[in-house]
Amino acid sequence: MSAPAPYSYRRILRRETHSSRAVLAIAVAVAVILLCLYSGAEIILMMLGQRALLAAPQDMLTSLSTLASTPIAVPVTTGILLMVVAILLLIGAFTPGRRARHQIPSTRAAVVVDNEVIASALARNAARAGNTHPDNTVVSVSARHAIVHLTPTSGTPARRDAIEDAVQEQLAAYELYPPVRASVVINAQGKVGA
Amino acid sequence: MNNTNRALNRALILVVGLLTLLAGAALVAITTLPVIRADYRASAPRVHGELTGWFKTIPLAETGTSWGWILILAALVLIVVLLLIFIFRQGHGHDDTLLREDTTPGGATVIDSDVAEQAIQHDLDGRPELLASHVSTYRVRRTAVLKVSVTCRRGESPRQLAEQIENTLTALDTLLGRHIPALIQISGGFRARLSRRTRVARTAHAR
Repeated sequence: MSAPAPYSYRRILRRETHSSRAVLAIAVAVAVILLCLYSGAEIILMMLGQRALLAAPQDMLTSLSTLASTPIAVPVTTGILLMVVAILLLIGAFTPGRRARHQIPSTRAAVVVDNEVIASALARNAARAGNTHPDNTVVSVSARHAIVHLTPTSGTPARRDAIEDAVQEQLAAYELYPPVRASVVINAQGKVGA
Repeated sequence: MNNTNRALNRALILVVGLLTLLAGAALVAITTLPVIRADYRASAPRVHGELTGWFKTIPLAETGTSWGWILILAALVLIVVLLLIFIFRQGHGHDDTLLREDTTPGGATVIDSDVAEQAIQHDLDGRPELLASHVSTYRVRRTAVLKVSVTCRRGESPRQLAEQIENTLTALDTLLGRHIPALIQISGGFRARLSRRTRVARTAHAR
């Protein structure tokens, strides 16, 4: 058997933990296509001498050239709307678009885990340490934080240090990247029959 | 894993974003800033006149319209076609061939992706901690890479799952005599939320 070829997972991991922006790009492309189709339809109707759908192309050009002499309400509103859309697009183009996933180190493969899976695993362990049911434990995991909300069963006090230890122990075992810090919140009011 | 051109995606969003910003800013500037408004009022009709004049210099036979519109139509069609190609270019990158080696001067050995995919799939299918699994092969920078995506039951330790799947992959290495790069993707998802948390496993859990 040949020695394992050194394979760099950097590109794959980067692509799996960041958005491709495909949805936004496709939406933009579809919008531009629709705009082109509409303009094309107006031009063809005009050339055939038919009635325009909304406005004939020449009339559009004319109103564009007299923009500075007409009421301003409509062009200003349109302009502001366009700018808002543009800023959203630019944000989409420049932000990294991190997906809700973490990496787990591995010698054999690249491993990515949804934050949801990490959260439910933490919930199970926190619930066990807190003597309650996992359904009374709500865990949210973000890029660098995990927040454990636990509602104890009435009459059985939940020991904060035990829960914190259990969560810490799990997180230490997962070795997530980017690393996650946990905080535990215990509801003051317990719940009957949980 | 797929070979979507991400730079191109962002470039398209950026270009359309900048054009939209420009159009919006121009509309607001022309209508609200007195200086620009005056300038525009002075020069826009002249530009408009030149444009319509140009249209009249290239009449389309006797129809009363102009070649100019045909040119614009052609440009619009070109844009639409390019964007459609762009849309259908998203994704892709699957590969049917796992390995191809010229073992002897007379011939080559080819291993289909199906071999690895079915071997792993078969091994994962019986596992109670997994709700679903899917194995596929992608070509990443001219190397075949396996993608093992699994949906797990609620509360499973991702680290343990990853290690179990790694063991499967190591077994595959032994079977093939080659080391195939792999990506393991562990997700929860809708099915995981609906499914029962408890399970009967071969490695019995305390709870």
